[in-house]
Amino acid sequence: MKRTNLIIIILFTSIVCNAQKYYTRSGVTEFNASEKAFEPVVAINNSTTAIFDINTGEVVGQVFIASFEFKNALMQEHFNENYMESSSYPKAIFKGKIDNFSKDRLKTVSEFDLVGILTVRGKEKKISTKVLVKEINKKLIITSNFMVKPEYFYIKIPSIVQEKIANQIQISIKYELVEKK
Amino acid sequence: MYYHTIGKSLLLMFFLGFYSTNAQENNLFKELNNLTNDKVTYSPPAFKALQIGNLQSTKMVGQKEFYMLVAHRFGYLKGGINDFYGLDQANTKIQFLYGIKKKIQIGISRDSYNKTYSGSGKVSIKKQSESFPINLVLYNSMDINTLIKKISYPGLLFFDRFAYTTQVLMSRRFSENLSLAITPVYVRKNLIDLNYTKNPILTSNEPLSFITEPWNQYLLALGGRYKFSKRMSLNMDYAYNLSKNKNSLYKNPLTVGIDIETGGHVFQLLFTNSRSSSDAVFLTETLGDWSKGDISFGFNILRIF
Repeated sequence: MKRTNLIIIILFTSIVCNAQKYYTRSGVTEFNASEKAFEPVVAINNSTTAIFDINTGEVVGQVFIASFEFKNALMQEHFNENYMESSSYPKAIFKGKIDNFSKDRLKTVSEFDLVGILTVRGKEKKISTKVLVKEINKKLIITSNFMVKPEYFYIKIPSIVQEKIANQIQISIKYELVEKK
Repeated sequence: MYYHTIGKSLLLMFFLGFYSTNAQENNLFKELNNLTNDKVTYSPPAFKALQIGNLQSTKMVGQKEFYMLVAHRFGYLKGGINDFYGLDQANTKIQFLYGIKKKIQIGISRDSYNKTYSGSGKVSIKKQSESFPINLVLYNSMDINTLIKKISYPGLLFFDRFAYTTQVLMSRRFSENLSLAITPVYVRKNLIDLNYTKNPILTSNEPLSFITEPWNQYLLALGGRYKFSKRMSLNMDYAYNLSKNKNSLYKNPLTVGIDIETGGHVFQLLFTNSRSSSDAVFLTETLGDWSKGDISFGFNILRIF
């Protein structure tokens, strides 16, 4: 008798744990801090990891700061050493939730609300934005973009380069999530 | 008994469920960490500028990047106010550098000292990473002395004007702030000054001892930097000449300086006993003696386009 109970429990909990999750290891996170008439300040990260639990709507993601690639090697060096201090703060982390998520709306591109906490340089900032989600060939394609300011994360920009770096930095994401088995 | 166990298991399940919803975000985050590939290919450079002071550093010009370097070496500080502490006698080097490939850079320059034209090439072999402990870079330079005239030296051939260096640059960034470099150097000079010795040649008993300078010289150079703020560091480099004769009047070059990085520029303010900033010349023909106060102020300005 006891054994059957145990098996039921194990089965049940394993069902609970096996909630449907989607993930990626090669998400694209891009940022643009360009000012008109100056050299573009743009970088792309192709190795963002993210997991999305479609039952709860919870989503977490992280990027390595040092994996942002710039066209200009020197800009990348300054980004890592002077602004982001990637040796002290190697990752940026996002923990959030899509509130009104429903799987039935994925046949076409649907808009949902994403709210969460973005942690950069150890400083937290609440982010609210819209995400577009569509299911194509069993993949969830999630795109979004939002603005952040350097001062949210205590990033000091010296006055000499202030006019070359935008006050509002646009972050764009494009993740293709596959089901986690 | 049966109901009792069912009750227990329900209780257990309730708590399990409670625990799992509460900790779901953290569990999800743990899963994320398991997924994350920890490989970061970017490795921060050991030095900010292409030179530590006078000595080459392992830093490279990036692909398709164009740098201009202006270097000044003034006269000895001990000239005093009469010479405006050496500023009356400036040697200027202008150098252009370009990254033709990701790991290959070339440069050309002209230095007023000895009216020297130079060409250089630098190839990055390996970068410091978790799997490799040092930055390894090969550097070659070729200096052409156009000061010497055929009228004074009738036997002078064109290739006599040439001097070459081959350097194996090795550096390691030990911490965020401390980087050290060690560089074996080979210098080949096609023309050497036989008279440049402390003792007159005639009093020398040993054959060939008057040759204070061999054509092929080997040096071991050391360098380092300590970052004392995000954009500033203290730098030092020194080269010990293993081939130098005791009688030679040439000194080993020692340079101490400060790097100031401002975004598009790196300013290097330095003190050195060498008046030249061309590789073969500063390595093997430095005349100043730190102990006698033969110290020059100088600077390198690196402009990145």
